[in-house]
Amino acid sequence: MPIAESDIKWIEAPKLGFLEQLYLPIVYDGLKTTIGHIFGKSKTESYPEQEPKLPPNYRGVHRLNRDEQDRVKCVACYMCATACPAHCIDIVAAPAPAGWTDREKYPETFVIDELRCIYCGMCEEACPVDAIELTTLYDLTGYSREQLVFDKEKLLGIFDATTKSGTDPVRSRSGALGPASETAKA
Amino acid sequence: MPEFDLLTTTIIIGGLVAIVMSIVGYATLAERKVSAWIQDRVGPNRVGPLGLLQPLADGGKFFLKESPIPSHVDKIFYLLAPAAAMAIALLALAVVPWGGTTPPPKPVAVNMAADGKTPDYSKAVQRFDAEQGEYRNQFQGVIAPGLDIGIVYVFALGSLAIYGVILGGWSSDNKYSLLGSLRSSAQIISYEIPLGMSIVGVVLFAGSMNLETIIAWQKQNGWFLMFQPLAFLLFMVSVYAECNRLPFDLPEAEQELVGGYLTEYGSLKFGMFMLGEYTHMITTSFLMSIVFWGGWSLFGLEEVFTDPIAAAVLKAAILGGKMLGFLLLYIVIRWTIPRFRFDQLMGLAWKVMIPLSLLHLLAAMLVRQYGWSNWALTAISIGLFVAFGLVAAFKKIAPNNTPRRKVIPKMLPRVMVG
Amino acid sequence: MPTVYVNDKPVEIGAEKLNCVQVAAKAGVEVPHYCYHPALSVVASCRMCLIEMGELKDGKVTMQPKVFPGCQTPVKDGTVIVTGDYAKRKGETALPYDPAYKPGDRTKKAQADTLEGLLLNHPLDCPVCDKAGECKLQDYSYEFGHGESRLMDAKNRPANKPELSSKITLFTDRCILCTRCVRFTREISGTSELQVVGRGHHEEIDVFPGFPLENKLSGNVVDLCPVGALGSKDFLYTQRVWYLKTTDNVCAGCSTGCSIHTDANKDIVYRLRPRENLENQGHFMCDEGRWGYHYTNAPDRITRPLTRIDGALKPTDWQSLSKLKETFEQAVFVSAKKSVAVLSPFLTVEEAYRLGAAFKSMHREIRLVLGPVPLTGVDDHYPKDVKGNAVAPTKFTIRAEKCPNRTGVESVLKKLQGEVISFADIAKLTLDAIWFAGGYPNPDVVDAAIPDDWAAPKLLIVQDLFHSKLTRAATTVLPATTAFEKDGTFVNHAGYVQSFHRSVKAPLEVRSELQLAFDLAGKKGLATVAAVRKDFAKELPQYASLAEIALNTNGRLTLATV
Repeated sequence: MPIAESDIKWIEAPKLGFLEQLYLPIVYDGLKTTIGHIFGKSKTESYPEQEPKLPPNYRGVHRLNRDEQDRVKCVACYMCATACPAHCIDIVAAPAPAGWTDREKYPETFVIDELRCIYCGMCEEACPVDAIELTTLYDLTGYSREQLVFDKEKLLGIFDATTKSGTDPVRSRSGALGPASETAKA
Repeated sequence: MPEFDLLTTTIIIGGLVAIVMSIVGYATLAERKVSAWIQDRVGPNRVGPLGLLQPLADGGKFFLKESPIPSHVDKIFYLLAPAAAMAIALLALAVVPWGGTTPPPKPVAVNMAADGKTPDYSKAVQRFDAEQGEYRNQFQGVIAPGLDIGIVYVFALGSLAIYGVILGGWSSDNKYSLLGSLRSSAQIISYEIPLGMSIVGVVLFAGSMNLETIIAWQKQNGWFLMFQPLAFLLFMVSVYAECNRLPFDLPEAEQELVGGYLTEYGSLKFGMFMLGEYTHMITTSFLMSIVFWGGWSLFGLEEVFTDPIAAAVLKAAILGGKMLGFLLLYIVIRWTIPRFRFDQLMGLAWKVMIPLSLLHLLAAMLVRQYGWSNWALTAISIGLFVAFGLVAAFKKIAPNNTPRRKVIPKMLPRVMVG
Repeated sequence: MPTVYVNDKPVEIGAEKLNCVQVAAKAGVEVPHYCYHPALSVVASCRMCLIEMGELKDGKVTMQPKVFPGCQTPVKDGTVIVTGDYAKRKGETALPYDPAYKPGDRTKKAQADTLEGLLLNHPLDCPVCDKAGECKLQDYSYEFGHGESRLMDAKNRPANKPELSSKITLFTDRCILCTRCVRFTREISGTSELQVVGRGHHEEIDVFPGFPLENKLSGNVVDLCPVGALGSKDFLYTQRVWYLKTTDNVCAGCSTGCSIHTDANKDIVYRLRPRENLENQGHFMCDEGRWGYHYTNAPDRITRPLTRIDGALKPTDWQSLSKLKETFEQAVFVSAKKSVAVLSPFLTVEEAYRLGAAFKSMHREIRLVLGPVPLTGVDDHYPKDVKGNAVAPTKFTIRAEKCPNRTGVESVLKKLQGEVISFADIAKLTLDAIWFAGGYPNPDVVDAAIPDDWAAPKLLIVQDLFHSKLTRAATTVLPATTAFEKDGTFVNHAGYVQSFHRSVKAPLEVRSELQLAFDLAGKKGLATVAAVRKDFAKELPQYASLAEIALNTNGRLTLATV
């Protein structure tokens, strides 16, 4: 397809005045800026010596929240798995254990492939019971791919660790249950 | 300095090359560090204290990396190119003073003998020997002292440097390499002209092409920067183009040409190109300091010490400091001025710099011919510069080759539809 | 011609007796409803199908001042129906309404209010509810309902009733009391296990103590339930419905050949649902078929060829079986009269035809035999009365013949050799070579058909889903495909022809019977049902119309009677 003449927008280069044509004043101006920056303060954060100050809504490693009775809050609705654009969440649902009077369904297994995940936070958006959350933990490393496939226990462990260290994500409505368990309180 | 002595010369050359190589190494580090500071970063700081061992690590990497040779290249020239680039760059350093110098003795005038008919050679020879002996006994901060054609030699070798680029680009058998080297050749040939012309005024004034003599002239009469600021400007701009530095780094413009003529080079071969390039930068920095900034002279400060060794060190330090200043300017300019478009680059050379240098040369000749004050040339220099600015601003001859509205649409491919 | 106006669109109804919901459907307008079901009696209890109604007479429309339940209100010539979707109508000139009347507004409000009422006690636990995604309450609330609840008080939370049935559980709080399930057990199965107990806000679906919902059609109440109150324990929490890929299929459970939807995800069948087909079984299917699909996912299924080496069956691959055809051909050539090819009634018409033709082409005298036909008890008709006797008119029948395609295979056999030889006839004989093309979901059927003193032939090639007496005696065992894994055609007990498309891919090492038949006949290339149908269109004129079908991925059926 040739470009239609009507689609061409011609932009004239701005006309240079006398001082601009001399170049030197402009070069001087530029040098002022660049040399000024040489003596300016560096903005580099020297990670790992210097811990980065992350915004409290940073999206890092996931965690699975616990409810007041230390049970997994997740009700295995698959909303996160459905919303996930990277298909990194795998859930196997099962009827809730006999003692759990407030819900019928719970995740028998809950696996997130942290390598596949793109940390978009859609799972968290989708979760109707605030069970899955992205923490501010950013330094996720491992020696093998298998190590970074997080199962339910590990994800719950992250909840324990982050609540202990007081790094709750700000989006957390900790304690407030979503609509699915609304009636449980009522 | 005594007669030619292989051992001493070898030691001096070896020592100097070692120093230059370390300067080159640290120039790369400086390039990265200064770039980082300009961009409010920290720069390399992991290897050694403050990253000071980074050049060693880089060099080691260049040595230890696998050095694959693409199957499609012209092997001989492909291997020759980096060697040429580096060797030529190093050769040019031979005549560039790096410390205190004295001008070589002028040719001895041969007077007529007592009979007034035959030239009295013996006296002249005697005097010549005496002057030479005295000259040789003085310490000269340059590898090959007393080379009469000094600056021409440097320019000749500087022009040869293009061979490294063209050979590399051609033998790589890669379109990016070829385009890069073509651009480079066009660019370097174009800028050779203002480069050479700008220096003629200096040679006219100093009456010699010998760099030591030029320094000596400046020591006596004042820096050429003061009398020929326009020549300095032209020289500096041309030198930036010769070195393929921003804003004239079109031969290796990554955004347009991948790596230009360097595309097919890796490991030590790439390293040699880089060494050559940085050596070239050092040479030209020395030249700028020597030709326009008085070399080792600094308003009499260089004569504070009477002790010859201390004086020599001080002179070397002054010259080294000036050179480092220009080296830094190279780096700072890189982040100050964006790259020219190729037509702008060519326009600048042919429409502005060459006429300007010609006019400047004419002015220098006039000043010399009529014995006007040197300051007259300063005034004429500035006047010429301003006049060109005015003309460019109002007559549109500046290197502004923005495509005109009516030209381009006709060049667009037209396909009949329907 | 009697004409009814639905949202100003004239619909000619002829002599049919229709209610407003049906007429609206004819006009392409959906009237939302929960309790109304075309196969059940009308109770108009959910109040979701409310519409505005009037009459066009003498060039003037007289609208009734109230809204009416559409399912319960019959229409006549000149009836004017206005639904909540009135504003969405396209291109119709407006009827001469009273200028003060705003069509559709009343219905919209009525629908929204009805939904608000239905949602009062609904727990809104969609995340854990298996119905979510195909729930009418979700759909209608989204489309017609209020955005939020105004309820301030606590919701009723009656306990769940998993003991309702061994197969079905009841989430009591999700129920909206449409009573479809109750009417189903009363009118279709006739077993009347379910009823509504309690009054007002405390109404619940329940069974009599000691009389759980156990009848052979009970699974249908799960489909009938418009919300997630009744759940199949078989499907409970296994998949979210939006992951399922639905294909139209035919149930292979009995010779009724119910039209079904197969819901599968990643090539695993998770659920079968009846597909409304009034020409065949109607709206429903039996539990045996519904939950009888598990054999296709069974771990002990034969999923790769096996061959007998040193007296034991060892797994092998298809490459090493390339001589199988020659071996069988040779055996047939040596003693054609003592060679038999068995075609089971689980094969499709295409497979039977292609296999039969391949065997007949080896030798004219090879006998084609109809495989064992599974029969259990007698045909089971519904509804039943209190004593368990069938009551006329019959609304659903579970056949005693537990195979989908005896009629079809017989028609092929009659064409290819003029007679149908039953398996029992040849089971007594001593034979040299048998090719058994099975595909029996239940190996007991095969075992029962083999006499105790049966002498295995020298060459026995068995193609089946599960191990049986036959495979244990076989020289080579080939895997077979299930009805979910192949394209084909079944003919039911009454000669009703249904073609279908496969729902899932067969396991990796399973080669389809059709492909095998192609290989046996020495045909090159990939086997497709379309090619086979073209082949037998000339020889079996009753299936000629099948050749015209282009099976799309949805597997629409074309119907013909044999």
